[in-house]
Amino acid sequence: MSIFIDKGTKILVQGITGKEGSYWTKHMKAMGTCIVAGVTPSKEGQLVEDIPVYHTVRKAVARHDIEASMLFVPPRFTKDAVLEALDAGIKKIVTVADGIPLHDTLEIRQRAKEASAYVIGGNTSGVISPGKAMMGFFPYWIERVYKPGRIGIMTRSGSLTNEVTSMVVSAGFGVSTLMGIGGDPVPGTRFVEMLPFYEADHETDAVVIIGELGGTMEEEVATAIKLGVLTKPLVAFLGGRTAPKGKKMGHAGAIITGGKGSVESKTKALEDAGAFVAKRPRQVGSILQNILMQ
Amino acid sequence: MKLFEYQAKALFQEVGIGIPKSYLLDDASHIEAAIEKTGTPCVLKSQVLKGGRGKAGLIQFADGLDAANEKANLLFKSPHHVNRILVEEAIDIHKELYVSITVDPVESKVLIMACREGGVDIESIAIHTPDKIIMEKVDITSGIQPYHCRNMAYSLGLDGQTAKQVMGMIEKLYHIFKTYDAELVEVNPLFVTKDGHCIAGDGKISLDDNAMYRQKTFTKTRDYFESDIEYEAAREGIPYIQFDGDISLMCAGAGLTTTVYDLIHDEGGTVANYLEFGGPNYRKAKEAMELCLSNQSKVILIVTFGTIARADVMAKGVVEAIKKLQPDRPIITCIRGTNEQEAVKILSDAGLECIFDTEEAVRKAVAIAEGRALS
Repeated sequence: MSIFIDKGTKILVQGITGKEGSYWTKHMKAMGTCIVAGVTPSKEGQLVEDIPVYHTVRKAVARHDIEASMLFVPPRFTKDAVLEALDAGIKKIVTVADGIPLHDTLEIRQRAKEASAYVIGGNTSGVISPGKAMMGFFPYWIERVYKPGRIGIMTRSGSLTNEVTSMVVSAGFGVSTLMGIGGDPVPGTRFVEMLPFYEADHETDAVVIIGELGGTMEEEVATAIKLGVLTKPLVAFLGGRTAPKGKKMGHAGAIITGGKGSVESKTKALEDAGAFVAKRPRQVGSILQNILMQ
Repeated sequence: MKLFEYQAKALFQEVGIGIPKSYLLDDASHIEAAIEKTGTPCVLKSQVLKGGRGKAGLIQFADGLDAANEKANLLFKSPHHVNRILVEEAIDIHKELYVSITVDPVESKVLIMACREGGVDIESIAIHTPDKIIMEKVDITSGIQPYHCRNMAYSLGLDGQTAKQVMGMIEKLYHIFKTYDAELVEVNPLFVTKDGHCIAGDGKISLDDNAMYRQKTFTKTRDYFESDIEYEAAREGIPYIQFDGDISLMCAGAGLTTTVYDLIHDEGGTVANYLEFGGPNYRKAKEAMELCLSNQSKVILIVTFGTIARADVMAKGVVEAIKKLQPDRPIITCIRGTNEQEAVKILSDAGLECIFDTEEAVRKAVAIAEGRALS
């Protein structure tokens, strides 16, 4: 059993007829993902990759048994689309859009919490359990990155994920479930909220987190380890160790203010909790070898 | 997008928050008109987006017209590119407070903070004496309630007319925060006068760039950027920051870019610029390379590992850019991801070496920057 999605998880695609929606629906299906329906307002009756399209989520949910929704919806329509999915009772939502307004993400996260649902993203590539299922867009056909295996990965960054994961694979491992939390300052779900799932997953031997400067997500993970939420080994790689202070480099979440949110403070918190922190992507692989191959 | 102080104060005034009498000076020759409005003594505040203006000498006090004239001339000539000065009446201050509204990402709520000590470095108070900071968290779906404001005002030890004024000000600041899609609204210092009136001494407002499509009041002009090149980059939609090192970065993805930045430092190299060549920009190789060539770098390092941003399209763009721009410095390419095999062919055909390992690419760039040849 993988985390969040598995071979049998019945998935809806919102925005299925769009350019990205239809392209990645084809890829998700090719990988074996169980997509049962799609939604695009005004396109009901169409088929995308033999998948029926509906005007609304409510209609799709009425006709199909749906457990999760994958959103290929532009940032300005994301809040509406997520709330529509939540309102229809869907508990697992992935939204990849980059550039969702901050006030919208606050509302999305608030509503998701009230509904006891998980919204993964925005500003992410999504979730993948290589060889089983994928919600999002990953170059899953590049085997030196997306080889199935027993390492769980959570990340705040897209392209860095490919970099670090390729090091995990070249060290002789593979990936159980990779979850893109996203690079926004307020993601729909935080690292720490997913830790219990990795702890409970019998197919995951160790967890890798790919973090960066800014925010406090990595410090929260350190606290959770101390509290015993995760007892499996955890290796972190954190980008932006030498970034100049006060400059907004890349992700909106990645700003250093005062003494908080620096890679230094995150490293200290994680190491104090017994986690391992790699200085370079390659070290993630060698640390895993030291821990798991002895 | 950060607003200038005079813009923040215009918003304050719009919602009925007290501000000092002021005049926005764009030419020292209008100083008389300014003084006529504000009287003396007055304060001359340079309108730049840098923090720590006081320490940098960008805020000056003047007790009369002659002094004001002299200081205005001095500020306009400073190397900090002062285009406007906000001339304000000097306020007779009884007390200074701090109030701000921002976001708590952990609980995903709007966070209102206040402190009895204003006008000082609030970040150092937050680190050293966090107990002094009063916090109230607001659910954005239900919005601010009167009790939030009462909690804040009375926790600040205020009473009577002053407490009421602070409550009103917090509610109005929240209104600005919500209406303008702000990331931060801050009043520091918040002046309390001897007769209990509250006046915003300084204001900082930062708006969410992602929400600009529904906020038409402000647009990013050249004024908001430190250099022409950063402004040019922003107009192309390319995230770009200028540094003064040797290696120009063209990297895809914020996380990978900051990691390459770290690796360069570990190898003893220096970075000439941060540039994101990914997301919607992956077809803009020519524009990205032009930005890199406009600075003093010794080598351009291209590192990508993307999915939607296809490697073959990037490689093609890079090759075309080289043909058009004829760069005067070496280019190292490490382009991977979707269609990477096609990318390798395109780059090889153009005579470019393709490195498939980030660390190796970084080592090579640093060696070239140092004038060493690497075997």
